[in-house]
Amino acid sequence: MKDKTFVIILAVIMAVGVAATTALLIYGYNLWKEISIVEMIANWG
Amino acid sequence: MDKKKLAKQLGVIALIIALFIGLDTGIYQLFIKRVISHHSPGMQKMSVEVGNYVPFTGSANVFSEDGAKKLEGDIPVIDGAAALLPVYAGFVQSIYPEDSVIFNGEDYDAKSAMHYTNTRGAYKDIVDGNADIIICAQPSDEQLAYAKEKGVELELVPIGSDAFVFIVNANNPVSDITIDQIKGIYSGKITNWRELGGKNVPIAAMRRNKNSGSQTALEKIMGDTPIKPDYTALFGSPIGFSFRYYVTGMLAEGGVKILTINGVAPTTETLADGTYPVSGNLYAVYRKGETNENVYKAVDFMLSPEGQKIVEKSGYIPIHQL
Repeated sequence: MKDKTFVIILAVIMAVGVAATTALLIYGYNLWKEISIVEMIANWG
Repeated sequence: MDKKKLAKQLGVIALIIALFIGLDTGIYQLFIKRVISHHSPGMQKMSVEVGNYVPFTGSANVFSEDGAKKLEGDIPVIDGAAALLPVYAGFVQSIYPEDSVIFNGEDYDAKSAMHYTNTRGAYKDIVDGNADIIICAQPSDEQLAYAKEKGVELELVPIGSDAFVFIVNANNPVSDITIDQIKGIYSGKITNWRELGGKNVPIAAMRRNKNSGSQTALEKIMGDTPIKPDYTALFGSPIGFSFRYYVTGMLAEGGVKILTINGVAPTTETLADGTYPVSGNLYAVYRKGETNENVYKAVDFMLSPEGQKIVEKSGYIPIHQL
């Protein structure tokens, strides 16, 4: 694999990974704001 | 093609993909799994959805006394704690004129005589003059200091009470706790359930926002003992706290359990005879020296047998025997 191809593949993987992690954190934060302490403890075995 | 180089490059790609998968799986397991919606109908019922408690809409969640005399003239703006929305929605439906309540489908209009914020917002609003009566648990020291700073004295009239309860996941083998142990947990001295006869698992001591009604209640229990943040909370088994009414509807779901304190369960009887050691009053709060006579009429109604029935039907304990 050419170095340029390798770097492009890495950049794409990093971009997708960072975007997925960010989306997951935003999703979780929005849920966290809405859930009550009682529901959280019920979910938290 | 250099096979070694290719293998190295593929290895780096695989490693980075694996790292992201590991990171996202960790975030899901530790963070999102605990807050993702597993709402059963019972849990949903206990969530305070403002749209379910709008007076004059025929909502089955709002209990009122239809024969009560309606207020006339300068209608006081009423607000309160989220958990007490059913109580003051019932008061409003009983004694407020229907056209004084304006709900736009999502929230109350600024011109409405009924608002819905939360304990923190309500105490700020009563001091700032944006509300005339609020229905809340006791104020925090910070809220009292804010009132003092603004030159406002608050009158707190008890209209009901409820037990302050500590809850754990239903799978937690610990069922009883003492006040000293609660203080130990929230001051960071007790950190493992093993110390309370449970499993060898860290205690995740959950807290609420500062100045929320239940956080203030915890601060009163703690007294001079400082509450320390629990930085290992994500990895332990949780303990939390709330008012009994907020929790009881969920017990049938099996997800949480209320701890007895010194072996005493929070029931109407143990609250009435004082054997359950932690309870808190619900207050109608207004500014001392209030000149709007409707404020006093509204509070009188809350303390009347009709008003006290609304307190009871809404799930709380009346301050006067019915």
